[in-house]
Amino acid sequence: MINLASRDIAHGLGRYLLTAVGLGLLIGVTLSMAGIYRGMVDDARALLESWQADIWVVQQHTLGPFAESSTLHDDAYRALLGLPGVAEAGNVTFLTMQVKRGESDVRVMISGFESGRPGEPRLITAGRPVTRAHYEAIADEKTGFSVGERIRIRRNEYTVVGLTRRMVSSAGDPMVFIPLKDAQQAQFLKDNDAIWNDRNRLAANPALNRPGIPGLIEAVEENQFSNRNVNAVLVRVKPGWDRRLVADAIKRWKRLQAYTGEEMEEILVGKMIATAARQIFVFLVILALVSAAIVALIIYTMTLAKLKEIAVLKLIGTRNTTIAGMVLQEALGLGLAGFIIGKLLATLWGPHFPRYVVLLTEDAVRGFVATMTICAIASILGIRAALRIDPGEAIGG
Amino acid sequence: MDAATQPAIRVEGLRKTYGRGAAAVEALKGVDMTVRPGEVVGLIGPSGSGKSTLLKCLGAVIEPTAGSITLGGETIYDDGWKTRDLRALRRDRIGFIFQAPYLIPFLDAIDNVALLPMLAGVSNAHARERAREMLAALDVAHRGAAQVSELSGGEQQRVSIARALANQPPIILADEPTAPLDSQRALTVVTILNRLARDYRTAIIVVTHDEKIIPTFRRIYHIRDGRTVEERGEGRPIPLEAAGAR
Repeated sequence: MINLASRDIAHGLGRYLLTAVGLGLLIGVTLSMAGIYRGMVDDARALLESWQADIWVVQQHTLGPFAESSTLHDDAYRALLGLPGVAEAGNVTFLTMQVKRGESDVRVMISGFESGRPGEPRLITAGRPVTRAHYEAIADEKTGFSVGERIRIRRNEYTVVGLTRRMVSSAGDPMVFIPLKDAQQAQFLKDNDAIWNDRNRLAANPALNRPGIPGLIEAVEENQFSNRNVNAVLVRVKPGWDRRLVADAIKRWKRLQAYTGEEMEEILVGKMIATAARQIFVFLVILALVSAAIVALIIYTMTLAKLKEIAVLKLIGTRNTTIAGMVLQEALGLGLAGFIIGKLLATLWGPHFPRYVVLLTEDAVRGFVATMTICAIASILGIRAALRIDPGEAIGG
Repeated sequence: MDAATQPAIRVEGLRKTYGRGAAAVEALKGVDMTVRPGEVVGLIGPSGSGKSTLLKCLGAVIEPTAGSITLGGETIYDDGWKTRDLRALRRDRIGFIFQAPYLIPFLDAIDNVALLPMLAGVSNAHARERAREMLAALDVAHRGAAQVSELSGGEQQRVSIARALANQPPIILADEPTAPLDSQRALTVVTILNRLARDYRTAIIVVTHDEKIIPTFRRIYHIRDGRTVEERGEGRPIPLEAAGAR
């Protein structure tokens, strides 16, 4: 028996392929959306893995440092080092800002760290670690900086000495790592006018500028214009120690919030990315509906264009199942061609997305099954129209 | 009555009423008709006289209200269909020729003809072989591989006639087959139908308004107000040269 669907497709191949390309674009966007979500999760995991922190210690009653703001004194780590099971502890700060790269701005997340302590980027793909106490930086490749380039952060310039890969914040901003002291200064640095104004205000305050107490005004200024805060302390536990128990001890004795690495991943993926995931899911549903509507419309109009031919086919004895099969196969063929085009496009344009896009095989399989299911459902309208055609329509003009 | 003398189709007291009650319209009010194998008869009548309804009843497309239809000695309708598989009845025992060729545009000429035997379960190779024979009988064998859009109007009509003959049905119902054709081509088609009827012993009922071809029928059924009246036609011979057919 002749395959009517393949012959019909071959007959109108141009229009069919054009429709498949349209559908493919939609499927490509759908796969890319799923890939963006996967990329966000993957970025979050890669970020946490690169720090290799067993416990994240943050301000009490907060989900910091990423989901909520968190402020700790930078000497808190000393107390943590005294707790049983704690092997290493290091302060970190996080600050999202625009930095200059030549004439253009790059949005980055600045992370302050202490050399040799948790928080220092370990996976350096080019260059070397930071060895000097000030004005050296390690930048993620996504910033566009290369080793030897200079980054201007606030009033200071930093030399890029090393590069990392896949180190981005949950918002997709690439990381730039600088020494902790520099980061603390950058976080709270005031402009010269503000400093001048603040100094004058202090000097004009008789309570703080007493002639009989020399050095008071200087001490107050020093306290106001310096920053001793960090956003989190990263802790590594000694081998054989249960990180959960150590985290509980930190919470109990130090009145701080402590999350294990798994809990921090849950905060990043489950809370911070959750909204984005819901948004992506809504987009996926909308795209699925649009795809279904397009396939249904195309298959329906393709069927309507063949009304007389279908009437003749029925009149000369073609089974309804053969006719329904023809419409269904055309819809599934459209889905298959659209999926192949969509997968190809998603693979091609994936690397050009600003965010990391992860195209998983399992997502592709799910997408394929969903596409074919949508096409099968969408063909119902066309099948219904075909089956309702009266064979008698071929007779009597 | 043996098979040779058996009418190809006999219709007795065929009625068809559309709708019910006060809105009922009686399209056929007792049609009688007999066509012998190898005979070509004309079925003529004004618009709305019931020609299409009769054709649809004979073609097992719609169910008559009463009467009987006997096909090659076998009663297929007698106040109800005698078979449940009307699709197979149409496929195997009735051929259709339409006003326009209505070929399947996405099949080539051979497959348009071979489709019918294939639907009847004949293998693709045998169905195509039979299609080639039919196309040869209609002098379009050389156009077998052509797509429908590549065929001229006359060639398309010949392919559609070959399709109607593909399963060698005892009866062919032709619904105004010459309507879109000029005189020359119309006479060619009638010549072909007469030759095929003779060669394949097929009875052909030609519904027509075409004044050019009416004189060629030996028997004509006039249908008026849902009833048929049999008339003797002129049976005028068609000069083969004029008809342009062999």
